[in-house]
Amino acid sequence: MSYLSLSNVTKQFGDTTVVDNFNLEIAKGEFVSFLGPSGCGKTTTLRMVAGFETPSSGNILLNGVDITHNAPNQRNVGMIFQSYALFPNMTVAQNIGFGLKVRKEADDVVKQRVSEMISLIHLEAHANKYPYQLSGGQQQRVSLARALAIRPQVLLLDEPLSALDAKIRVSLRSEIRSIQKTLGITAIFVTHDQEEALSISDRVVVMNAGEIEQVGTPFEIYNFPKTRFVANFVGSLNTAKAEILDPASGLLNMEGIQLQTDDGTKNRKKGDTVTFAIRPERFSFVSEGKKENVVEGRVVNITFLGSVVRIQLQIGKTNFNMDTFNRPSLELPKIGDSCQVSCSKKAVLILED
Amino acid sequence: MLIELSIQISAITALGGGILGFLLAYSVTVGGLPKSLRPILMTFSGVASNFAGVPLAFAFVATIGRQGFITHILRDYLGVDVYSAGFNLYSFAGLSLVYMYFQFPLMVLIMAPALDGLKREWREAAENLGASSTQYWLKVALPVLLPSILGAMILLFGNAFGAYATAYALTGGRIGIVTIQIGAQIRGDVLYNPGLGYAMAVGMVIIMAISLAGYSWLQAKTERWLR
Ligand SMILES: Nc1ncnc2c1ncn2[C@@H]1O[C@H](COP(=O)(O)OP(=O)(O)O)[C@@H](O)[C@H]1O
Ligand SMILES: [Mg+2]
Repeated sequence: MSYLSLSNVTKQFGDTTVVDNFNLEIAKGEFVSFLGPSGCGKTTTLRMVAGFETPSSGNILLNGVDITHNAPNQRNVGMIFQSYALFPNMTVAQNIGFGLKVRKEADDVVKQRVSEMISLIHLEAHANKYPYQLSGGQQQRVSLARALAIRPQVLLLDEPLSALDAKIRVSLRSEIRSIQKTLGITAIFVTHDQEEALSISDRVVVMNAGEIEQVGTPFEIYNFPKTRFVANFVGSLNTAKAEILDPASGLLNMEGIQLQTDDGTKNRKKGDTVTFAIRPERFSFVSEGKKENVVEGRVVNITFLGSVVRIQLQIGKTNFNMDTFNRPSLELPKIGDSCQVSCSKKAVLILED
Repeated sequence: MLIELSIQISAITALGGGILGFLLAYSVTVGGLPKSLRPILMTFSGVASNFAGVPLAFAFVATIGRQGFITHILRDYLGVDVYSAGFNLYSFAGLSLVYMYFQFPLMVLIMAPALDGLKREWREAAENLGASSTQYWLKVALPVLLPSILGAMILLFGNAFGAYATAYALTGGRIGIVTIQIGAQIRGDVLYNPGLGYAMAVGMVIIMAISLAGYSWLQAKTERWLR
């Protein structure tokens, strides 16, 4: 049974459809990310769950109750903004207690919950400071505590880490994830950063131009992208076109070079053109002993990326990237050399368009 | 008390102009008025807040003075004689009305940016936490605006307190606000006591200085919050 469900949710601003027929079921306690480029409708979808926008059509159910048309202050949903949105005239403790105060909770309940929340985010020493006296990361933790203090049914986070520097971004995201797990709270996390989405989510919803491209675990999204968009947006992928020679065995022909796949050619016909994808790290040198899909490539460029080395190879007429671990014993070819590389049948993914 | 009248007129017009100016600024910023009205109001306010002195007094005399254009229209065509009904432009009330004309635009100019400074996210965060619109205004928006509002009122007070030419041109010195008294003592047509004039001037400088100090203290407080 799903806890939060969005069915056929569509949002139009004037003539433009910003969210198109969005369907998603989220289980209680699940951490789901919306991942997609800027302008694809992530914030709008989140704001419909919070009640700041009303869907043009479709329904939103929370714990079996239709909340589609409830005012924002009539839902029990916590929202975290990219800009923290702390009230500047209140201290940390007052900010955290705000939601309970306006709900007319007794003073001792407020006091108790506020101190609970302050220790949850480890800001005991800053309880009486004003937002302008805190760093960005501290402010965002206060805003997390403020949202959690009202014990919301769902926590919504709209790019909460985008305004922070890289180090704090990484530490705060694991803090958010661990607090979410401890409290068992259902959360939707919006981001345009694929690494962020993959690293903290139970499931990732990849969005493009108002539509869902793919929903899956980080593992599924990364290893088995269904569409070209997902393949390109998540990680870096080589894509090329090929003709199907034998649908039954998965034999492909890319400009005279034969490749084997074991991914979904059965419902296609001989002679169909398909787009396939191979992740750079799935290639290896033949000298390392692999024998599937052996092809010859000419080295076009070599780039050091820290722990990996990226080798650009021209295979047939197409350039492919190959990533290999950067270890001292690595014997690199030179630019202009020809070399034999291979990749397994499983690494050749057929994409829907 | 010589200074009393000045304080009265300054306080009354600061309050009246402040309220009117705040409401106007509110309606073109966070209120629901069409966005196209905003540049019109801002331009008007920019001009009107500086439109003081002899030209302003003359404009009022020419429109709602005893022989003013609007006074005539009201009397001859609508049968309303505002002067026999008790209105008098050359009185304390009349002078207050004229002052209002440069007071409220100044309030608009100060409050519009302050109201713009209210972030949409504050309202949304408040609503999200369960607050009603009234609770948001009472607990967040007004406290955030309060220093700006108080600061602006002080500025308006000082603005009226220091006005001289408008009052002199309008009433010819019949209303004894402090600037006119100073003028009379120093110029000495009837009264002549430059010592008293200078003493009053110093008193005035002190009041103005306190006003300005209060204004900048409040301004600094908001700026720190809104950083
Ligand atoms: N209130 C609005 N009025 C008109 N267009 C809007 C409004 N809010 C968002 N949009 C448009 O909807 C699209 C999706 O916006 P948004 O949901 O903010 O995307 P994202 O969060 O994925 O970057 C954008 O093209 C944006 O310009
Ligand atoms: Mg967004």
